[in-house]
Amino acid sequence: MTTTTIERPEPGASAPLISVRNLTVSYNVARTGKTLTAIEGVDLDVREGEFVTVLGPSGCGKTTFMNVIAGLVKPTSGEVLVDGRPVTGPGPDRAVVFQDYALLPWRTVFDNVKFGLEMQSRLKGDGWRDRVQEAVELVGLKGFESSYPRELSGGMQQRVGLARAIVAEPRILLMDEPLGAVDALTREVMRDEIEKLIAATGKTVLFITHSIEEAILLGDRIVVFKSHPGAIKEVIETGLERPRSERSVQSEPRFLELRDHLWEALQHEATAAARVAGS
Amino acid sequence: MTTISIEAVNAPPLRRHRRLPDKWAWLLMAVVAGILLVWEAAVSWLHLVPESFLPPPTAVAAAFVELLGRPDFWQAFVFSLQNLAIGLVLAVIVGVIVGLAVGWSPVLRFTVAPFLWLLYSTPKVALAPLFILVLGLGNESKIALVFLLAVFPIILNTMEGAVTVNASLVNAARVYNVNGVALGWKVIFPATLPYSLAGIQRGVALGFTGEVLGEFLGGAGGLGHLLEFAAYQFEMAEAIAMVFVMVIVANLLLALISALRKRLAPWYDDRQVMYGA
Ligand SMILES: Nc1ncnc2c1ncn2[C@@H]1O[C@H](COP(=O)(O)OP(=O)(O)OP(=O)(O)O)[C@@H](O)[C@H]1O
Ligand SMILES: [Mg+2]
Repeated sequence: MTTTTIERPEPGASAPLISVRNLTVSYNVARTGKTLTAIEGVDLDVREGEFVTVLGPSGCGKTTFMNVIAGLVKPTSGEVLVDGRPVTGPGPDRAVVFQDYALLPWRTVFDNVKFGLEMQSRLKGDGWRDRVQEAVELVGLKGFESSYPRELSGGMQQRVGLARAIVAEPRILLMDEPLGAVDALTREVMRDEIEKLIAATGKTVLFITHSIEEAILLGDRIVVFKSHPGAIKEVIETGLERPRSERSVQSEPRFLELRDHLWEALQHEATAAARVAGS
Repeated sequence: MTTISIEAVNAPPLRRHRRLPDKWAWLLMAVVAGILLVWEAAVSWLHLVPESFLPPPTAVAAAFVELLGRPDFWQAFVFSLQNLAIGLVLAVIVGVIVGLAVGWSPVLRFTVAPFLWLLYSTPKVALAPLFILVLGLGNESKIALVFLLAVFPIILNTMEGAVTVNASLVNAARVYNVNGVALGWKVIFPATLPYSLAGIQRGVALGFTGEVLGEFLGGAGGLGHLLEFAAYQFEMAEAIAMVFVMVIVANLLLALISALRKRLAPWYDDRQVMYGA
C-alpha cells in the first residue's frame, strides 16, 4: 500500500483537495444543433479524506459533474482544481466507478480488475496478483475470477467496476451510483466495506446515489443537486459520529431529521422537473 | 475481509445450442436424398435430359472419386488455395488496419470513407481482364483479384465496428490515460473484432469467386482452369464434381471463421452479426 494515512485529517485543517469553481458544462447536441446546459455555476470544495455524497433527480447533471472532475469532460467555463492544480485530463490520482459498469466483455473478472494497473504499467513484480485478488475478494466475487462479465448479474458486474477502481489505489474515488444495481442485503455489506476501506486508507470520495438513506449513512456532507439547469441546491453536513453502524444510526434523531429534510427537497425537485418536462 | 458468501458456480458457462436438433437434421437429409433421387430418375431412367448435358448424380459421384485420385487435380487445388490464402492474408491485414484507422479517426471517416463505399459498389469483376493484362497469367493476377474482392467488406465491416465501440469502454480506458495506439490495441481492436470477422467471412466468399474468375479468364492453372478445360471437353460429370469441390472448400473456410469468432469473441455470440457491408 502506498497511501497509509490511517487517520482522517481534521476537517478544515488543510486546503481543499478538490476545488470546483463556478463550473458550467454545456453539450452541443449535434442532432438539433442546440446547446444543452447540463450544469451551471457549480461551486464546491472537498477536503482531503472527506466523503461527499451527491443526491439529485435523474438528469440533473451528476454524472457530468463527476466526469469533469475525472478529466473526461472539459468545462465550458469555470475550473476544477485537484490539489491546487487545474484538471486538464484524467490522472492516476483519480479513479472512476462508472454508472454503466464499463467492463471489457472480452476480459475475465480478474483481468478486468487488473486493467487499471496494467494501463498504468504497474504489473511489475509479483505483488500485483495479490492486490488484484484482494480487491476481487473485497467486493465478494471470490470464485468468479475467471468468469466473463456476461456470465454475471448486473450487481456483480457493478462490483467488478468497484474493484477495478479500488485496486489502482487512487487518492480520489469518484463513484457514480456504484451500488445502484446491487440487492439490498449485499448493498448493506458493501456499504460497510466501503466505509471501512475509506476509514482505513483516508481516501477522498465523491459518491453519487439515488438513495437518501445511503447518502446520509456514508456522507460527511451531502450535496443536493437541482435540475434545469443542473446546479447545487444545498450542501448539508451530516454531523453523525463515525464509525456508523447502519442499524443504530437509523434510529438517531439526526438521521431522521436529515431524511425528512432530504426527502422533501428531492420531492420538490422531482415535481419541478416533471412540470418542466410536461410543459 | 468481506463476509458476503456467494458460492462459486462450477457449471459451465451458458452457451446457446447452435447444432440443429436431430429431427431437423433428418429432414434436411431426406430433402437432399429426394432431390438426388429425382435428378437420377429424370436423367438415367426417364431420359428427360440428355446425359451429356446433365449427368446423373451417380456419374458425378464417380467423377468426384476419380478426381481425387488425379495428381493434376491436386496441383490445381494447391495452386488455387495458395493464391487464395496469400490474397486473403493481405486483405485481412490491410482491411483491418485501414478499417480501424478510418472508423476511429473522424477526419479519415469524412474524407476517405465515401471513396471506400464507392469502390465497394464498383463491379470489380469487370476489372478482371485488366488485371490479367497487366499482371499476366500467373499467380499475381489471381492474388490481386482475391485481394481486391475481399478487402472491401473487411474494411467496411471493421469501420462499422470501430464507429460503434461503446463510448463508456473508451472512457474506462481514458481514465487510466490510455490513448493512441494503446487504446487501439487494448480496447478498439478487441471490441471491433467480431465485426472484422464477419467482414472476413464475406471477404473469403468473394475472394474465392475472384480466384476462380481469374483462372477462368486467363488461366495457367488452378481449379477454375481445370473446370473450364473439362467444360470445353464436354466432361460434364467432371465439371460438376469440380463445382462440388469448390462449394466444399468455400464452406469449410466459412465454418472455420465462424468457429474462430465463437472462440475469439464469445461475448458476441448472442448478438446479431452483420454479414454484409
Ligand atoms: N454526451 C452528452 N451529449 C449531450 N447531452 C448530454 C450528454 N451527456 C449528458 N447529457 C445531458 O446532460 C444532462 C445531465 O446528464 P447526466 O448524465 O450528467 O445526468 P445524471 O444526473 O447523471 O442523471 P442520472 O441520475 O439519470 O444518471 C442530461 O439532460 C443529459 O441529456
Ligand atoms: Mg448519471
